[in-house]
Amino acid sequence: MKVLTANSLATGEVVFWSHGRWAKAFGEGERFADEAGAGPALAAAESQSTVVVAAYLIDVEEVDGHWVPVSYRERIRALGPSNTPQHGKQADGDADVAALVAATFAARSTGRVKLIKR
Amino acid sequence: MPMLIKVDGDQAVLVDDGFVLLGEEDPAPDGADVIVSLARFQSEGDSLMACGRRVGVRLQPSEEAEALAYDLPRLAVVELRFDKFRDGRPYSNAVLLRQRYGYAGELRAVGDVLREQAQFMLRCGFDAFAPSDGSGPQDWITATRRYRHVYQAGADHRTPIYVERAAAKADGVAKEELEHGL
Amino acid sequence: MYRYDTYDKAMLTDRSNEFRHQVARRLAGEITEDQFKPLRLMNGLYLQLHAYMLRIAIPYGTLSTRQLRRLAWVARTYDKGYGHFTTRTNLQLHWIKLRDAPDVMDALAEVDLHGIQTSGNCIRNVTADPYAGATADEVDDPRVWAEVIRQWSTVHPEFSYLPRKFKIAVTASAKDRTAARSYDIGLQLRRDREGQLSFEVMVGGGQGRTPYLAKTIREHLPADRLLSYLDAIIRVYNRKSRRDNIHKQRIKILVATLGQEEFARQVEAEWAKIEAGTVDLPDTELARIRGAFRPRAFETLASASKAFEAAKADLAFARFARHNVKPHKVAGYAIVDVSLKAPGETPGDCSSEQMEALADLADRHSFGEVRVNYTQNLVLPHVKLDDLPELYAGLKAVGLATSNIDLVSDIIACPGLDYCSLANARAIPVAQAIALRFADPERAETIGELKIKISGCINACGHHHLGNIGILGVDKKGEEFYQLSLGGSGDNDASLAEILGPAVHFSRTPEAVDALVDTYLSHRRDGERFLDTYRRIGLKPFKEAVYANAD
Repeated sequence: MKVLTANSLATGEVVFWSHGRWAKAFGEGERFADEAGAGPALAAAESQSTVVVAAYLIDVEEVDGHWVPVSYRERIRALGPSNTPQHGKQADGDADVAALVAATFAARSTGRVKLIKR
Repeated sequence: MPMLIKVDGDQAVLVDDGFVLLGEEDPAPDGADVIVSLARFQSEGDSLMACGRRVGVRLQPSEEAEALAYDLPRLAVVELRFDKFRDGRPYSNAVLLRQRYGYAGELRAVGDVLREQAQFMLRCGFDAFAPSDGSGPQDWITATRRYRHVYQAGADHRTPIYVERAAAKADGVAKEELEHGL
Repeated sequence: MYRYDTYDKAMLTDRSNEFRHQVARRLAGEITEDQFKPLRLMNGLYLQLHAYMLRIAIPYGTLSTRQLRRLAWVARTYDKGYGHFTTRTNLQLHWIKLRDAPDVMDALAEVDLHGIQTSGNCIRNVTADPYAGATADEVDDPRVWAEVIRQWSTVHPEFSYLPRKFKIAVTASAKDRTAARSYDIGLQLRRDREGQLSFEVMVGGGQGRTPYLAKTIREHLPADRLLSYLDAIIRVYNRKSRRDNIHKQRIKILVATLGQEEFARQVEAEWAKIEAGTVDLPDTELARIRGAFRPRAFETLASASKAFEAAKADLAFARFARHNVKPHKVAGYAIVDVSLKAPGETPGDCSSEQMEALADLADRHSFGEVRVNYTQNLVLPHVKLDDLPELYAGLKAVGLATSNIDLVSDIIACPGLDYCSLANARAIPVAQAIALRFADPERAETIGELKIKISGCINACGHHHLGNIGILGVDKKGEEFYQLSLGGSGDNDASLAEILGPAVHFSRTPEAVDALVDTYLSHRRDGERFLDTYRRIGLKPFKEAVYANAD
């Protein structure tokens, strides 16, 4: 599955495409079956040049009932820096964040996670 | 005819290009002023000029100003092409043409030419521009006025700050002398 | 310190205004991201993993307390209350918004700060000796020349769209504290027998994907010809470098391709054609800039301080005195290194509160002046020995008194994958884990000088090529692995580190460093640093120790 992500042009914040709007929380990101399915959304994002910048698709997988990015880089991007847990979206503390955090730490020890592949 | 922005001092106007850009094989139209590549100029420049037409040369970023050094007095126009606005080689070519080889004709920036680089281009000696971003003369004049002072001497002969400083100091001293009746 | 006059200030104001226009145009969609990106980079604004990062220039690493307080305020008002000091002596703010950036620039310009040319393919902030003006072993204050270069390179009409970034370092001491040989241009200032100042000009150093040490292309350049010579070097670079492959566009590649001799010949030929008086500054202007760096009003003091000596009865202060206090050229004064490497903290990070406390201390004890070292630590350049006990207490109160300069826990680490969109792996947690493992100050002292440098990717912002132990984060099979290398040095005896063996998993990296340290301790002879032992015994014993239990 794929999720479409970008950065807000004006603020730089990481955002996720969610049915025609940009959501701040990863958990709200709309999932597409594949790249083709995400095509229209990506095209729409690329046309919003005064709203977002650097739109691209990331791979997501299901872990313990929650959807998380496959790559460690995208998990950090969805959460925040690992050295400062009170900074970034990880400080928002909702269920999806908790799941992301748990999945991230779990994946590190089992080696299932891809590091920087989107 | 395509339009060009020509800058003279602090004025910028839109003018007709006035030249025809020829490909390598294109015949030169009768009586037309033409711009050709460096290679074509080197092989045909003399014959193109022989019929009294004005001839200009377009240099690619990888071509060097030195190649034109001896022909500059005969050239009406030199165009320096920016393939990508980020490729800064034409700036060096412009500086050399103006300051080392004394080129006094029209120096044009063509290609990926954007108003945000206007002041760099003017300072390097360009005086005519074919912008690719739809900007007009007023945009270019505004862009060139962004800096009231400049640190370096350039082909545009603006006074560098270190000269302004010395002059201000000299003025200050002169004023002081006047005040004290020296 | 150099004080910006009306012209310098006007440049910053005009730059801020220009940037404000450019941001407005971008937000309104009048220019594309492609067109805007080089413009925002030339003002220090990057799009990173979580937000925009602003890199604020600290010209040749010198700050007034007024500037430091403004940085603290900007960090608190527009960011998350801290900043990160970098290996280029700049300050990074990691959570800036584009729409706030013009206001940030205005706030910085008020105190003569900016983000001009801290990124982009242009001439970057010049690095100078952090001990300039305070150390006895300098032949001149290198900041004079760094300021000369700063002005000449700012909004340079011909050299703002170079093939790649361009970095210059200036040192005036026999002991190089800038890693000059790892620079695009390294300038070593010397005096000849008649007392004339000249530069040894070294070109083509660089880290990153393919590290090089700079080659000397001219042994003696009269100092007052510096700018025209730099003009020549950069013009040759601008014209002759490749433009087809971003990974081959640093000047180090051009120098390696042409060879040192041919490159030098081209520079000399170009230099010979530069008309006298068109680039080099007149003597009056050089004298004016030099005048700004005249010595402080130092008091006449005894070279020994009873208060300082007595305070050493406190073991912790004594340790601080051993590692963080360096000799000053004026009797009774000292140079104080302020560590931003408390074990467990993020290397190089400094909170707004710490900045403000340090500014107060600098006002009281260091003529209102602070320096930034490329090691990601700070310096108070002019402190009376008598004042050291009070200063130490003040630093300790805000967590700035870690006594570990040049020791194992004084680690250089880039922000890495925690912040940087270029990174392959995280660097900060590795640095933290190693520093905590060696947190015991006595153990650290036993080990002695050991410079560990960690980069999260091959761009080498953590200087891993120059680490006694260099650590490079890599992506191996989708996990964070760390390639270890040994024997690098950024000092006068510059050398590039050699790879030890296969990369080690994140979880095994601190113990690998332990094994390296144990190997050193078991082999070292009297007075040898880690680097010395390595240079004597080579890679093999270290390799065996680390990979002994490898699967």
